Amino acid sequence: MDRSKVFLGAGRYLLIGLASVIALVPVVWMATMAFKPREEWTSGIDQLSWLPKNPTFDNFTFIFTGHAPKLVVAIDRVAIGPAISSIVCATLGTIIAVTVGTLAAYAVSRFKVGRNLPLSILQLRLFPPLAVMIPVMIMWAYLGLIDTWWGLSLIYGIVTLPFSFWLMMTFFDDVPREIEEAALVEGCTPWVVFRRVTLPMVKAPLATTILFVFILNWSDYAIALLLTRKDWITIPVFMNALSTAMTGQMYGAKAALGLIAAIPPVVLGILIQKYLVRGLTFGALKQ
Amino acid sequence: MNAVITDASSQALPMPSPTNNLAAQGRRLGALMILPAQLLLLFIVVFPLLMQIYISLTYWGPTDGVSWIYAYQSLNLFANYVTFFTDANLWAAIARTLFIIVVAVPLEFLLGLGLATLFVDSFPGRRVFYSILLTPMMVVPAVAGYMFYMLFQSNGPVNQILSFFSNSKVELVWLSVPHLALTAVIAADVWEWTPLVFLILLAGILAVPEDQLRAATMLGASWPQRFRRIVLPRMKTVIVIVLVLRCVEAFKLFDVMFVMTRGGPGTSTETISLYIYKQTFNELEWSYVAAIGLTLLIILSVLAVIGMRFMKHEIEIERSMAPETIEGKTT
Repeated sequence: MDRSKVFLGAGRYLLIGLASVIALVPVVWMATMAFKPREEWTSGIDQLSWLPKNPTFDNFTFIFTGHAPKLVVAIDRVAIGPAISSIVCATLGTIIAVTVGTLAAYAVSRFKVGRNLPLSILQLRLFPPLAVMIPVMIMWAYLGLIDTWWGLSLIYGIVTLPFSFWLMMTFFDDVPREIEEAALVEGCTPWVVFRRVTLPMVKAPLATTILFVFILNWSDYAIALLLTRKDWITIPVFMNALSTAMTGQMYGAKAALGLIAAIPPVVLGILIQKYLVRGLTFGALKQ
Repeated sequence: MNAVITDASSQALPMPSPTNNLAAQGRRLGALMILPAQLLLLFIVVFPLLMQIYISLTYWGPTDGVSWIYAYQSLNLFANYVTFFTDANLWAAIARTLFIIVVAVPLEFLLGLGLATLFVDSFPGRRVFYSILLTPMMVVPAVAGYMFYMLFQSNGPVNQILSFFSNSKVELVWLSVPHLALTAVIAADVWEWTPLVFLILLAGILAVPEDQLRAATMLGASWPQRFRRIVLPRMKTVIVIVLVLRCVEAFKLFDVMFVMTRGGPGTSTETISLYIYKQTFNELEWSYVAAIGLTLLIILSVLAVIGMRFMKHEIEIERSMAPETIEGKTT
């Protein structure tokens, strides 16, 4: 009995250990690549090394300034613009989605208005973005929104609205009504109740929703690829454009960019781990 | 029941307003609060949809030199839809997408379920391993695509590891051979999304009432028996949700493919989204793309309605079985 328990325990650790290694290998390979000097980017399969032999910050210097000691390659722009674009558009998109979503979620949860709203909002999430982008691209061009921060923020706000709306709706459903009712009886208007009573009670869920939506916006690639051209491309778009021209594969530089793009969601994701299931299933499952 | 009081007179009253007035106030505020969401939907669904229908009935393209409003000049009614049903490349892309779903989603499901069962009871280091296992799904998909692009280079780590274990020099040109490229792309998808399946299934398993499991244990049921007889039936809803979620997302697959292979070599990893992308930007067949998009929209909507009916039905059964299991416990 005891023996088999030890065996089971060891087997569990072995399997989980293996899974963890598989989960981390691609991340580690990119992270170490970001610190490898150019000579180590590619090498024969026998000399392949997992850790940089001569670790360097050249890749980071290169992507942000356009030149580094050993990287004499011309690039037409540096990563500062795309980094600002990623931060600005993901943040503003999050503000739009969470504001609009929270208001609508409260209304649907409390006042039973807009019966079809939840499903029609959810539908936004169902279709491949590329299948419905033609009219959006035409509209964006017509309204002068292509390659602007406000145009990209607006579409981000719309695309992540289903998540903020459904998440906040389940959070509002969890809040007991008694306190609100008491405040109403005291003579507060419904808006004051929402603003001063309910919102303070959902502070933590609201923060979770904000982080969750930010991760989604930050992770976008396809939309920025279609709706930006030059000035407001985001980090993932910039990163994948880096290899085209005559520069060849800029493994290390791209890895450095990838690392920068990958860190915020991973960190934020750990922060909101408790609510990930709820968020990813649109509130259908409450963990 | 209060006597009927009109709005005007109730507003004149300084203190407690009657409940029916409060309800009216609430409804008014509610209507105001959903207004922004409704306007956004109107802006992004209703208007573009009409536009997409209109354009799909013409030959209009962005290089025609006329605004889309004048697309009727090249009206062709249903020619684009006829093309849709006879376009062999499109159907090949759809078949390829379905193939990737059929291979990747069950793999993700089995691996995720296996991992979830390992995490049911606590053990030292559980939280750390849990966070590590969730990392892949937090990585930006386009970046994940680039990671796998590097891993699968002919002089990359995957070949190195294979060489190590096979004791011979493996130099597979992963991304240039059709079926190898497809394998690599599926591997990337499985790597990135198994954590999601794991996460949701684990939540489902943990929501199974513990007393039932304990009772079954006392009656002498082994873990496989308990799993099959108690856990699996209880998890039906969760399983349906996770499978639907993954299938929908896999159908949209674009970022990873686009970064890793651009659909190549040839068209061997060209999914439906990539095919649409190429039609949009290489062929500039916008009206045809509009028709493809609309047709997919209709097909997916029908599937969604069927799926929702099914899910509602399942959830109702679940609720009637055990109301206390709907809200799970926290990890």
